Amino acid sequence: MKSYSRLIFYFLIFAVMPGVFLRALIWTPAAEFLGESSRILYFHVPVAWISVISFVTAGYHSIMILISEKERDEREYKAYNAAYIGIIFTILTVVTGSIWAKISWGSYWNWDPRETSIVILMLIYISYFSLYSALKDNVNRMGISSVYLIIAMITMPFFVFIIPRIYPSLHPDTIINADKKIHLEAAMKLTLFTSIGVFTIFYGYIYKLMNRISSLEFTQQEKRNDN
Amino acid sequence: MNSRILNNIKKDFLIEIRNRSAVNISFAFAGITTLSVSLAAGGAPFTPVVHAIIFWIILFFSAMSGLAHIFIREEEEKNSLFLSLYYSPEEIYLSKLIFNIILFLSISVIVTALYLFFLQVFPVYPLLFILTVISGCFAIASITTILGAIVSKAGSGSSLFTVISFPILLPVLWTAIRLTSVSIDGSGVQEYRNIVFLLAFSGVIISVSYLTFKFIWTEF
Amino acid sequence: MINIEADKIGKKFGKTSLFKDINFNLTKNDSFYITGPNGSGKSTLLQILAGIQNPTSGSVIYKSDNSIIEKEYYKNYFGFTGPQINPYDMLTSIENLKFTASESAGENRIIEYLEKFDLYRHRTKAVKYYSSGMKQRLRLIHALINNPEIVMLDEPCSNLDTKGRDILYGVLDTLKKDKIIIIATNESEDINLCSKGINLEQ
Repeated sequence: MKSYSRLIFYFLIFAVMPGVFLRALIWTPAAEFLGESSRILYFHVPVAWISVISFVTAGYHSIMILISEKERDEREYKAYNAAYIGIIFTILTVVTGSIWAKISWGSYWNWDPRETSIVILMLIYISYFSLYSALKDNVNRMGISSVYLIIAMITMPFFVFIIPRIYPSLHPDTIINADKKIHLEAAMKLTLFTSIGVFTIFYGYIYKLMNRISSLEFTQQEKRNDN
Repeated sequence: MNSRILNNIKKDFLIEIRNRSAVNISFAFAGITTLSVSLAAGGAPFTPVVHAIIFWIILFFSAMSGLAHIFIREEEEKNSLFLSLYYSPEEIYLSKLIFNIILFLSISVIVTALYLFFLQVFPVYPLLFILTVISGCFAIASITTILGAIVSKAGSGSSLFTVISFPILLPVLWTAIRLTSVSIDGSGVQEYRNIVFLLAFSGVIISVSYLTFKFIWTEF
Repeated sequence: MINIEADKIGKKFGKTSLFKDINFNLTKNDSFYITGPNGSGKSTLLQILAGIQNPTSGSVIYKSDNSIIEKEYYKNYFGFTGPQINPYDMLTSIENLKFTASESAGENRIIEYLEKFDLYRHRTKAVKYYSSGMKQRLRLIHALINNPEIVMLDEPCSNLDTKGRDILYGVLDTLKKDKIIIIATNESEDINLCSKGINLEQ
């Protein structure tokens, strides 16, 4: 059963994912106003999606560390690994986003609400890692950094409320309208959603690998301690 | 419970008054930053938005210089174990929170008076201006109390404090800057619900801090 | 009636194991010593018993009349002192004691203890100006002020002169009758005072 599901995993990542990339770059038509550059959409949106997902995952494990006594050590590296992937994908989001912004709006940075949100997410990740490294010798390291992540998480809804009032949006209306509906051609929509799907699976794959490495390191450490 | 929190606040004030330097320095920091801005400006006219931005940046850095001290002192002078043997984490958190709110409100009074006086700013909506300063400072003090506790446990001073506070203080600063700029030039509507926003935000942070403080303060 | 039970307590710091599988059960009028060479974990074990640190394995159980007490309420049952416990330097001894004494303790008991430990004439001096022996006396008063059912002392005799020791042993002799006393120490006098104990030497 286990090897069977792993096979599906590999198939999705090593066969389907390149297929989706090809489809995104060649097959799908370019967007009407944005031109060929719109193809970056199929990378930019999934990458942004993953940076949010890893934030939620890290937050989930942080809450669980404080609530339940079970599997604290496992959750410790799970939260850390999720944040680790998160910061990389956040940086990728900023990079892809600013390339696209340069092409379509004329400058790399515009302080558009969504750009601002992703920068705040990046700041929170940076603060989290600064704190984590500063807490090196503290026995409560995980508790303290979890509390920080939780506080950062509860500020998020307030950002959603406040940012659109401060910065007018430049983000293409063709993608997400004020009524929160997606207006894309069917082919583009399909590509976008499959791309988000495979990226999410890809994320799950890296995350699982990282956790496995951490768990191996952890048990090795335990063994060394027992001797 | 109430008298115990009061006891704790009284103790903190007693120590700070006898030990003057720390509180003096944070007051002096706030005053000097305000003066240096007005001296550097040299009477050059600022737009209301610039006024609001500078005003809140002064308050932000005053908070960064002073509000972690109450926890850092307990750690540096190695009193934290003594304190936690007799007081519960909740009592400690609430007393430090009240101390910080009182301290920061008095710092903000000084900064506001100096700023208005030296930069010749006369808010068109004085009531909105005062309410903004009070609720903004309340929000900053409530956020920095829990973060100050975190920093004191990390043992790495005020630069880490600024790094971890900034992203969380951003919504407060944005809202406060907008409200202040409206109250100074009188343009736009007086959005009192933004003050409710600031208070609600601090309320949420305080309740989460109250619940999670014990994970920072004691080994769990 | 209060009861402390240590159930297979073990503590590790990183790669080194300090102690493991420590078991004992203490009830009223037990006096217990913890001894061992430097670095063997005496203070750590005492702090684990007080709930200040967590054991890496095993658990500490407090029972009052056979009902289990939650960890956050331990501090209502014990008085703890040790070299890591520092009263506020900027406050006087009487201010420190008022800060820690429960409402039921009252001012009379503060004065009683200050007189007993011969600190009454220094009561309005800031702790900053105390000698280390005087500080140790103040620490001991702090452990006893709320009349706890369990008294935990980490090296109670450090820095004390003969007079201070005599006072301490006098107090402990009366306390022994109806309380649990736990002492982490290397002094043979302290050990002789106790009815049972443990040596962490391995």
